Amino acid sequence: MKKMIALLLALVMVASFAACSVEKAPEETTAPAAETQQTEAQQTEAATDEAAPVEISLWTYPIGKWTDEATVKSLLADFNAVYPNITVKVEYLDYTNGDDKVNTAIEGGQAPDIVMEGPERLVANWGAKGLMVDLADIVPEGTYDSVLASCTGTDGAVYEMPVCMITHGMAINRDVFEAAGALQYLNEETHTWNSVEDFLKAVQAVYDAGHEYVGAIYCGGHGGDQGTRALITNIGGGTYANAEHTEYTYASQENAEGLAKLYAQDGIVFDPAIVASEAIQNFINGTFQMSFCWNINDELNNADALTFDVLPMAFPSDSEPSLQMGIWGFGVFDNGDEAKIEAAKTFIQFMSQDDAQYTKTVEATNFTPVRDLPGFESVNPLITEYSALDPMQGDYYQVTLGWTQARTEWWNMLQRVNSSDGTAEAILAEMQTAQDASNAAASAG
Amino acid sequence: MVKNQIQYSKRQRRLVMQENIAAYLFLLPFLLFFVGFVLYPMFMCVYTSFFDATMGREDIFTGLDNYKTLFQDQVFWIALKNTLVIVVVSVPVTCAFSMWVASIISKMPVAATSAFRCIFYLPVVTGSVAVTMVWKWMFNNYYGIFNYLGKDVLGILDKPINWLGDERYALGCIILILLTTSVGQPIVLYVSALDNVDKSLVEAAEVDGATSMQAFWKIKWPQMMPTTLYILVITTINSFQCFALIQLLTSGGPNNSTMTIMYYIYYNAFKLYKYGYGNAMGVILAIIIAILSAIQFKVGQEK
Repeated sequence: MKKMIALLLALVMVASFAACSVEKAPEETTAPAAETQQTEAQQTEAATDEAAPVEISLWTYPIGKWTDEATVKSLLADFNAVYPNITVKVEYLDYTNGDDKVNTAIEGGQAPDIVMEGPERLVANWGAKGLMVDLADIVPEGTYDSVLASCTGTDGAVYEMPVCMITHGMAINRDVFEAAGALQYLNEETHTWNSVEDFLKAVQAVYDAGHEYVGAIYCGGHGGDQGTRALITNIGGGTYANAEHTEYTYASQENAEGLAKLYAQDGIVFDPAIVASEAIQNFINGTFQMSFCWNINDELNNADALTFDVLPMAFPSDSEPSLQMGIWGFGVFDNGDEAKIEAAKTFIQFMSQDDAQYTKTVEATNFTPVRDLPGFESVNPLITEYSALDPMQGDYYQVTLGWTQARTEWWNMLQRVNSSDGTAEAILAEMQTAQDASNAAASAG
Repeated sequence: MVKNQIQYSKRQRRLVMQENIAAYLFLLPFLLFFVGFVLYPMFMCVYTSFFDATMGREDIFTGLDNYKTLFQDQVFWIALKNTLVIVVVSVPVTCAFSMWVASIISKMPVAATSAFRCIFYLPVVTGSVAVTMVWKWMFNNYYGIFNYLGKDVLGILDKPINWLGDERYALGCIILILLTTSVGQPIVLYVSALDNVDKSLVEAAEVDGATSMQAFWKIKWPQMMPTTLYILVITTINSFQCFALIQLLTSGGPNNSTMTIMYYIYYNAFKLYKYGYGNAMGVILAIIIAILSAIQFKVGQEK
């Protein structure tokens, strides 16, 4: 009997882990309508003062200050001043566990009403699975076509109401590059490298100046892969996915040769032990002299820690650089409750329609608006410098099917390249393996 | 032979029944919890493993397809091999090290014994994330203390080693961290077990001329066998379920060199949404652990 009990317990301990994921109680910020101070004028404006109270949930990934409680509370206070009947409960997610939380909630029938994230999740994942509401009817006029196209599913429905965007680039420690005489290899005004060869010369110059680690191809996973993808496809001159976003195409001779150049370059290390955020921290603390994952938010959020002049740069290319774009916005889960869906749409409209409110909404993201917004440059002084990269925005291929597995295959490919002899042939073979697995996932949907 | 049966009066039977009902009522909350949060998920794990289960659509019955795919999955075999390496190394080392430490500190004065018990138990009560982050810093390729000591202080390294980023060392690092977080509880248990050994038997053996080693193996060791058995089973299960370290340090890399079955289950179920496939792996893992535990019980009882 004792043996049976012991065996049963052993089974239970394993099987229960696989079958259920116990999540911590969410950390919530609520802005109950009752707490909201209303002015007399606002009460007059309140269109739905007599309407039935509705409670909706908003889950936000870390997009600028949209995970800063004070900022979000302020935005919610604005909303509740006009719509006191709608209470918004906020939960803050991170990119390490956020997907698990959302997916567990979906499986448990407890999906949030609104999620703030990008098209790779809202459109290519949850939208493609039929879990999201079409928001085409609330998209403001003037939204850039290229942005809206990325927020639209293959069925024509708009699964993400875009709010902000940014161009992902790289950055260099300008002080170190200047001291090493490497600024001659780039154009500070256009934030571009003269050529791929000049980029490699610049790395060599910094390395020769005594900096063992100039830059790192981080490949430990957990996001930031836009940096390494753009770096390799720009250096090589190849593509990552086809224009229809149905197939991955990065296993090409050009990309393999581009990666081989990086592999052979002094000062460039492949590091499977670090992830993008650690590579960024190593850049900020001076361990690395360049970061292949960088955008305006990284400079804004680390302003106090930065002790050198950061120069944002496009990725090196022998033609026009093609940079990765980031788009973030709101998606609404179809939870079958029309009142909540309407309340969610009302919230999104409030945050994005009126120029004054939209300015606050975008300002909280630290990114740039997705439609012309006069005077926005004055809100963020760094925007002018970083917007030099905007004209180089390339295809938003993150909506290609099988994206989650494709990312893992990309990381694994880089890790295998790190263990290889670094020849273009060996790299191409590894790329082909990863691409085949990614395309299999894309075909499976 | 006639059995002597106690004859209860009606009132006595009623009192016994009342006591039984009260006992069951006290047990009921835990029983409900156990059924709802342990047995039911366990049943669902087995049930779902026969389906192509994913998010946003009805499950499709696929029979044994998940299991067939599993045995053709190269990464699963790598994960299984890594998991077995972790178990084979960490379980005996944990037991032997714990017993060695316990046998030393149990001979110390009471205050010293308590102090050492606390010290060795600290990693157990400290949050695993905090412990892991400290280790991550120590293993850091660029400014970690191990590379600093090896290269700059002792001069035994020509260049820094990327401990967690190199396939040759990553799994070893994981095992080392696992050991430090696993020995606390066994040490406490062994100290208690050593305290409970019948001292008169040990003294009698010593009077008869037994060496301390003979006294240990012939008298103490058999009396500590139940504790050893418990430690073996628990450490084996914990080693099989090594997950947080992998999640926080390597995500199974580099190149799957630290991929374990638990992490692969998590990756399939919660990253790729292949719930059925992940559960099939969970069932296989449960069977392996059950078989190993049964062997451990059998061997332990025979000894």
